[in-house]
Amino acid sequence: TPEEKALVIGLWAKVNVKEYGGEALGRLLVVYPWTQRFFEHFGDLSSASAIMNNPKVKAHGEKVFTSFGDGLKHLEDLKGAFAELSELHCDKLHVDPENFRLLGNVLVCVLARHFGKEFSPEAQAAYQKVVAGVANALAHKYH
Amino acid sequence: MLSAQERAHVAQVWDLIAGHEAHFGAELLLRLFTVYPSTKTYFPHLGACQDQEHLLSHGQRMLAAVGVAVQHLDNLRAALSPLADLHGQVLRVDPSNFPLLIQCFHVVLASHLQDEFTVEMQAAWDKFLTGVAVVLTEKYR
Repeated sequence: TPEEKALVIGLWAKVNVKEYGGEALGRLLVVYPWTQRFFEHFGDLSSASAIMNNPKVKAHGEKVFTSFGDGLKHLEDLKGAFAELSELHCDKLHVDPENFRLLGNVLVCVLARHFGKEFSPEAQAAYQKVVAGVANALAHKYH
Repeated sequence: MLSAQERAHVAQVWDLIAGHEAHFGAELLLRLFTVYPSTKTYFPHLGACQDQEHLLSHGQRMLAAVGVAVQHLDNLRAALSPLADLHGQVLRVDPSNFPLLIQCFHVVLASHLQDEFTVEMQAAWDKFLTGVAVVLTEKYR
C-alpha cells in the first residue's frame, strides 16, 4: 500500500548502507553458519568476531544493501528490477533461494536493532513484505 | 545441543526479558498478528480483537513457558512435555508457523535491546527457540 511504501522508503533513507549491510551479512553467516558455504573464499570466518570484522563480508554486505536500496525504487516491478541478479544467483552463484529469505529476515532484525521503538509492528510488516518480494524476484529466473 | 557458551548467551538474553514477560509477550503477539495475519486463525478471540489486557495475559503465559525452557536446557523434552501434548492434540498449530514466531521474537529483542543484542546472543537464542519448536511439534504424529 502507499502507506507501507512510505514507511519503507522513509526508514531506508536513514539507513547506513555500508554499516548495516556488513552487519546483516555478518549476522547471517553467524546465526545460520551453513550459509558460509557460499563465502569460503572470503578468508577468516572462524569465529563470530572474525566474521563481523571481515572486510570482505563488510564489502559484500554493502553491495547487497546497495542493490536492495535500488530495488526499493522499483517496488512495482521487483521481478524486472532483479532479473539480472536472479540469473546471476542461479547460473553462476548457485545459491538456494531459501538463503534470500534468511537474509531478508536478518535484514529486518538489523533494522529493528538500529531503529528500536521506531521499528513498529507496521514497519516490520511492510519490510517483511518487501524482503519476501525481493527474495521471490531473485528466485524468479531460476531454472 | 547448546554449547556452554550458547547456554550462557541464552541466559543473558533471558535476564534481559525476566520481569517483563507480559510486555515482551504482548508485543511478540502483536507483531505476529500484524506481520503474519494468517497466524490469527490460531487465536480465535485474541486474533479478532487484540485488546491490550488479553495480549498481556497471553503474552505473559507464552513467555513464562519460554522461561521454563530456559531453566531446563538439559531436558527440554521432559520440561515441555505438557505443552508438547497441548500443541499436538489440542492446538495443532502448523509447524510452519513456529519460524514466524521466532522471527518476531528476534525483532522484539532487537528493537528493545539494540546495542545489547549481540550476534552471539541472536545465534544462541535462534538455536534455542528452534529447539523448543522441535520439541513442541514432536508429538504431532
